[in-house]
Amino acid sequence: MSSLDKINPPAVTKNVGTLHPINQTKDYLLNLLTHLGFTEVHGPEIESEDFNFDMLNIKKSHPARQMHDTFYVENKSNVLRTHTSPVQIRSMLESKPPIAFSSAGKVYRKDDDATHLPMFHQVEGIYVDADVNFSNLKDLIHQILHDLFGKDVEIRFRPSYFPFTEPSAEVDILSENGKWLEILGCGIVNPIVLKNCNIDPEKYSGLAFGLGVERIAMLKYGVNDIREFYKSNLDFLGQFK
Amino acid sequence: MKFIYKDLLNFLSEKPSIKNLSERLFQLGHEHEINGEIFDMEFTPNRGDCLSLIGLARDLNVFFGKAKPYKTFEGDIEELNLDFQNLSPEVCPKISFLEIEIEGNTNEYKPYLENYFSLLGNKKVNFFTDISNYVSYELGQPTHCFDAKTINDQLIFENRICEGSFQTLLGSNINLAGNNCIFSVNSEIVSLAGVMGGISTACSTGTKKALIECAFFIPEAIIGKSVKYNLASDAAHKFERGVDIQIQEKVLRRFIEIVREHASIKNIKIQSFDEGKVQKSSIPIDVKRINKILGIDLAEEKYVAYLNKLGFGIEKEIIVPTYRHDIASQNDLAEEIARVIGYNNIDSKPLEIAKKLDKSVDDVNKLKNYLIKNGFSEIINFPFTANEEKKSISIDNPLDTNRRNLRTSLKNSLLDNLLYNERRQKDSIKFFEISDLYTKSDQINQEKKLGIIISGRQGHNYLDFSKKLDHAYLSNLLNQDSDNSVLTIEEISRTEIKTKKKDKIFYLEIPIEKIPKHLFKLSESSIDRINFIKYQSVSEFPSSTRDFSFSISDIKKYDAVIDHLSDLNDKNLKDAFIFDFYENKKLNEIKVGIRFIFQSTLNTLSEEEIQQSVNKLLKPIVDLEGVSIPGL
Repeated sequence: MSSLDKINPPAVTKNVGTLHPINQTKDYLLNLLTHLGFTEVHGPEIESEDFNFDMLNIKKSHPARQMHDTFYVENKSNVLRTHTSPVQIRSMLESKPPIAFSSAGKVYRKDDDATHLPMFHQVEGIYVDADVNFSNLKDLIHQILHDLFGKDVEIRFRPSYFPFTEPSAEVDILSENGKWLEILGCGIVNPIVLKNCNIDPEKYSGLAFGLGVERIAMLKYGVNDIREFYKSNLDFLGQFK
Repeated sequence: MKFIYKDLLNFLSEKPSIKNLSERLFQLGHEHEINGEIFDMEFTPNRGDCLSLIGLARDLNVFFGKAKPYKTFEGDIEELNLDFQNLSPEVCPKISFLEIEIEGNTNEYKPYLENYFSLLGNKKVNFFTDISNYVSYELGQPTHCFDAKTINDQLIFENRICEGSFQTLLGSNINLAGNNCIFSVNSEIVSLAGVMGGISTACSTGTKKALIECAFFIPEAIIGKSVKYNLASDAAHKFERGVDIQIQEKVLRRFIEIVREHASIKNIKIQSFDEGKVQKSSIPIDVKRINKILGIDLAEEKYVAYLNKLGFGIEKEIIVPTYRHDIASQNDLAEEIARVIGYNNIDSKPLEIAKKLDKSVDDVNKLKNYLIKNGFSEIINFPFTANEEKKSISIDNPLDTNRRNLRTSLKNSLLDNLLYNERRQKDSIKFFEISDLYTKSDQINQEKKLGIIISGRQGHNYLDFSKKLDHAYLSNLLNQDSDNSVLTIEEISRTEIKTKKKDKIFYLEIPIEKIPKHLFKLSESSIDRINFIKYQSVSEFPSSTRDFSFSISDIKKYDAVIDHLSDLNDKNLKDAFIFDFYENKKLNEIKVGIRFIFQSTLNTLSEEEIQQSVNKLLKPIVDLEGVSIPGL
């Protein structure tokens, strides 16, 4: 017997690939919302102005509807959805309260610089039931942010403006360097939106929130330039195993 | 918009510190940065009423009380008999004109006026325009100053389709198109109403007699014009967000007062054209509803007091001020109350949503898991492409006119991804993308597809290093033991894409719904992927590769060699792997080949730096007796 028979060949390491870090983050958020009771719903990326704007109380005169902000397709017959909220509208039209939906996916805006891309991802949630109020919204947002950033994270709510929620808020967390970082937008669903979805706003109220997936991914992974996510660089992607 | 701290204090009865003021502004939802005593504000688009000192102070009055710091001219003013016709009262229901003539020289600007220019970095233009700009800063109402002698015939306002060139008072030529609000004299357009005046009727430093126009234009008539014509216009910014329909005459009286403080007035005349369309807006008092929306317990007395301090009238119902275009419902009032109380001072109340589920792994995720376990990396690409097919959906207003279509296939994007990484010295590339693709026929069609692209080595371990990713590899990966006739693997020719690499490229694209079900079963469980690692910057500098082959004649040293190779550490070493392993039983010797890949994030590594790293990494091995590196 040769002495070579006693040796063990080097371990054969199979290279494992990676799920894209944006999809990892998106899945994480969707899993969290599922755990909180939200059911995931889906919708198209090419939307009518009706679902993308009108049903959400975004009036014809709103700047977001201008050609410099929104991609229009096929002679202005439709738009590339500017948010995932139309999915909520479609789902609310097919359901009766109580409802708790989450939706996630690609959205498009006419931007392109170091902090904005023409395509990015959102995760949204909406909950409609009798007596849903702003205090409940705060509790839910605290649950989400505590899961993402830990129980000790300092959270700040600021008044803001979205046509589809009233009151509206933006939520910041205090970063390690002492600066407040904007994390998400949320609010009480505007009764006009409920009415548009055939839900009686006298009986029901709702809360809604939306997160930018790239923003969360940048914070959690420490990526400073949003464009890194879309270069397809294996040295970059390979880190997210 | 920028404000001077001390200017703002003039409108408040209490005098808060900068810090206190800043905290209250955040509480009210007014984001800002502070530079010295300058507040640089960013208002939400629904709060056009805050785009002035008086506007912002109206919000702050709820905390700091109210003061009236400025004077308006209260004397009688002769009626102006202006030859004016309003052909579009539906977009301009209220407009006032002031004709004002001064004599002699103007005085040095008083500190409040001088500071507006010197501290806020605003540029002085001429006497009347300077006052117009200041009044807009103070009261939020834009005015436009015509040199009175240039308005020598009937002045007409109308909202109509316009064509042709218009020269602004800043000298830029714009080509008018579509509907525009305009003022014209003798068919000549003299002002793009609500946006910018024209050069032919503009005031100059020599103007002694000016016609000041002060109007309410409905936001819808102004929105988008400044962007369309690329004009930076503070007036348009304010009109787009809505001004106060009841403030015009007050603004002109303030204008007169400021002129009076700086020059001798020879003559003033004023005239207003009012379509009488101001409607009193009111909302029922319903504190129960407010409490229900916010989840609080506020007494009605306190509720109405808060609203009153914010400028709302309290009668049988709540009267909405004419400058608050954003208030129409109980929810709007609830937000007002929440801002005053402070969003952060409203307690959280537990929310339990009835249904709790664990997210099941769907078919697409099962497929992803399977590919990832086999070394594939997922890519996400933008959908914009130059390729145009009959079924392509085109974008009316693309960011890049060379990419005005939505892709109908994932192939070109994934090929670009592959070539990008080949240029970065990657020799084993396995990518996939799953995305919805959109095409048109008589309707818009949506289809979710999987695209897979491979090229190069099957892997870096010594079993796979010399094997190439090829048709058989992909077929074996996907076919398994089932019928896969729907999976068509295509070789992409290198000739067409003009690359020097020799490795073959193979591609597969298939609609998700056509993927044989057995593929989804290959990976039932979800990979535990959520590991928020701290990412390290990717180097933009080239890497360098060094291969070494060890001859181990003293077999007892084999384990020491392998142990060392599994625990390599050098700041410039990016990767290392054993790509060759051979047992020569005849000579009783083992050969081990290792590849080092060096790369720095700081610079392109020099030969000397690489050699230093190599020496450091190899020394413990070459020092072993019975281990040699032939040729070293």
